[in-house]
Order: sequence, then C-alpha cells, then structure tokens
Amino acid sequence: MAELLGWVFDALLALALLLLAARVVFSPRLFESIVLFIVFGLLMAIAWARLAAPHLALAEAAIGAGITGALLLSTFRELVIGRTPSPEAPRVLVYRWHGLMALLAGGLFAVLGWALLSIDVPTGPVAGEQAMALLARTAVDDAVTAVLLDFRAYDTLLEMGVLLLAVLGARAALGSQGPASSDDLWTDGEGDTPMVGALVGMLSPLIIIMAGYLLWAGAYGPGGAFQAGAVLAALGVLLRLTGRIVPAPRAGVVQRGVLVIGMGVFTLAGLLTLATGRAFLQYPESLAYPMILLIEVALTLSIALPLVLLFSGSAGIAAGRSQHSP
Amino acid sequence: MSFLTGAAALLWVLGGFFFLSGTVGLLRFPDTLSRLHAVTKADNLGLGLILLGVAVHGASVVLAAKLLLIWMLALLAASFSAHLVARSHLRDEASRDG
Repeated sequence: MAELLGWVFDALLALALLLLAARVVFSPRLFESIVLFIVFGLLMAIAWARLAAPHLALAEAAIGAGITGALLLSTFRELVIGRTPSPEAPRVLVYRWHGLMALLAGGLFAVLGWALLSIDVPTGPVAGEQAMALLARTAVDDAVTAVLLDFRAYDTLLEMGVLLLAVLGARAALGSQGPASSDDLWTDGEGDTPMVGALVGMLSPLIIIMAGYLLWAGAYGPGGAFQAGAVLAALGVLLRLTGRIVPAPRAGVVQRGVLVIGMGVFTLAGLLTLATGRAFLQYPESLAYPMILLIEVALTLSIALPLVLLFSGSAGIAAGRSQHSP
Repeated sequence: MSFLTGAAALLWVLGGFFFLSGTVGLLRFPDTLSRLHAVTKADNLGLGLILLGVAVHGASVVLAAKLLLIWMLALLAASFSAHLVARSHLRDEASRDG
C-alpha cells in the first residue's frame, strides 16, 4: 500500500515536472515563465529528495529555485519594466591579442587533455568501490563533501573560478553604466511598512544561523559551502530588496577580498601541499579536517557575495539607509 | 493500526481538507483580497494539522520541536507575502481610481 502510494506520488511529480517545463518554455508571458520556473525548481528539489539525494535537493531549492528565481525576477524588472531600451547596441570589445590568446588557451586545453588521457583511471564499478573504500580515510564523514573537497578538489577550485569569471563578465557588461534602480526595490522608495522592518529583524539572524549550520553540517551530512553560500546570498537579496544595502559604483577593498578569498585560500592550500612534496590539494592527514573547514568557510563567503552582486546588478554594494521613516 | 497512527491519519485528512478548501477558494473567489484570505488562512491551518500529524506519528519531542519551527517560519513567510500582495493590490487600485 505504502509502496503503491509512493509510485503514485512519484508519477504525479514526474508528470507535473514535465508539464511545468513545457509551460515554462511555451508560455507567451515572460513573467509567468519565470514564476513557473521557480515552482519547477521547488518540485525538482522534492524529486531529488525522493531520489535520496538531499545534497542536490538543498542545492536545487537554494540555488535553482531561490537565487536563480530572484536573478530572473530582477532581470525582468530591469529589462521589461524599469528601463527604456537604449538606442545604441552594446559594443563588443575585441582584445588585440585575441588570436594569441586563443592559441595559448588551445595549447593549455591540449596539455590538459593529454594529462587526462595519460592517467590510468579505473573504470566501471571498480572506481566506485575504490572511492567508497578511500572515503573512510578522508577527514570528513559525508561522501559528497569528501568528493567535492578531497577527491575532486580541483574541480571545485575551478568552479569557484567560473563563479568569479561570471561576476567579472557581468562587471564588464555593466561597463560604466550604473544600475537602473538604486532605490529599495521592495517599497519603491515609499519607505518601510512596519512589517518590512519586522521581517528583516526576524529573518536576518535566522538566515545567518542557517548558513552557519549548513556549513558546519557539510562535514557529516547534507550541507556545505555551496548551500551555505546560497542561503547567505538570500540574506543579501532580502537586504537589497528592502534598501538595507544599495548598489555602489565600485567594490571596496573588503568586497574584492571576499570575492577572491575562496580562490585564494583554496589555491594557497594547493600550493602548500605541493611545497611539502604532496600532490596538488592532497591534504596531510593530520591537517585535513581544519584545512577543509577553512576552505569551506572561505568558499561560502566567495559564493555568497558574487550572487548578491549579480542580483544587485552593480560592481559593489554599500550600506543603505538603515532607518526608513514609515 | 495503533492509536497514534490512527490519530495521525485523521489529522492528515483534516489538513488535506483545509488545503483543498484553500485551493478551491483561490480558484473560485471573485477578487484578489478574498483569494488571498482563502489561501493564507486555510493553507496555514492545513499545514499546521499535517505537521501535527507528522509529530504525532513520529512521537519524538525533538522532531515535534523542529516541525513547530518549520510551521512558525511558514506562518511568517505567508503573513509577509500576503501583506505584500495585498499592498501591491491596493496600490494598483489606488492608481486606477486616481
């Protein structure tokens, strides 16, 4: 009976996902597509939970539905509601040495490809068995965190690079042009209602505790830097919406530091392991747990701030007027 | 079936009924404010009953405390979003009339 109910639930979930996906793509109204995309993300998170993948469920709910949804809504606001289209098309700058850069990047790709092919990699079920056997020797109990920060730490390092590149790309696309709406988005400059102040006051500490918990829990269960960073970014979105933080034309030293600290600490850890005669990011056993924890903390910050900057659509952020007159 | 399972099942059915009522209200009520009323009132009660059922079924104080926290957060989110939707609706009406 319970099994049958499970099947019915899964079938309904799968059907709803397909219908929502079709609706997101074919809906004539952009706004409806965005809202349904967020609903799709939430149902997708439930699907991951049903597949016994709580890490993915958390990431999908926080990043797929939450942050991406907020980014899409703010983009909609800027593009469709807020701004009259500018008459001149945005210019694309071609770097003078693009041929040489392409050649060098191609060479790097070839070297990496050759390095990959020259590794004797066990394939098939053997690889999984070996990984599970090695898991007992890593510093963390959670399999997913072990894979992300130990077995395949290099991948995670490069993912941080991708996030940083996204922010730099957005910064370049923004050019000298400032963000369209610098006021608080929520109340359209009318000031707080009493409810908004209460919401910020109640939710901010809860969100910070939640992010800290997710970060800490990553060592032995579902959680980790990506989920914690996304939750922290949600706080940034809330503060931006309520005018507690406002866009700034440039990022100060602290913000630039936070942007690169994840890459920095991660790379430094790799170089240190190299300097002590180990493989890149092969942590010494006695220091593995503190190193992973330190890297995770740095990653959380460097994941949260880029997401907030992307949402804000500005190069930096600054403290807004903290007290609105109602 | 134990007494606890029976009680939990009863609470779930009741919770489902309130969710269903809220959804019918959302679809059938004539204007924004009464739709909002249907969704926020009925769904919050429905969620509370379903979580109470889970707490009874789980029969653990820690689980019950977590579920209570979830319900409080859901209430918080529902109240604020209802407030914002109502506010936006009133402003739209004011700009239409004025």
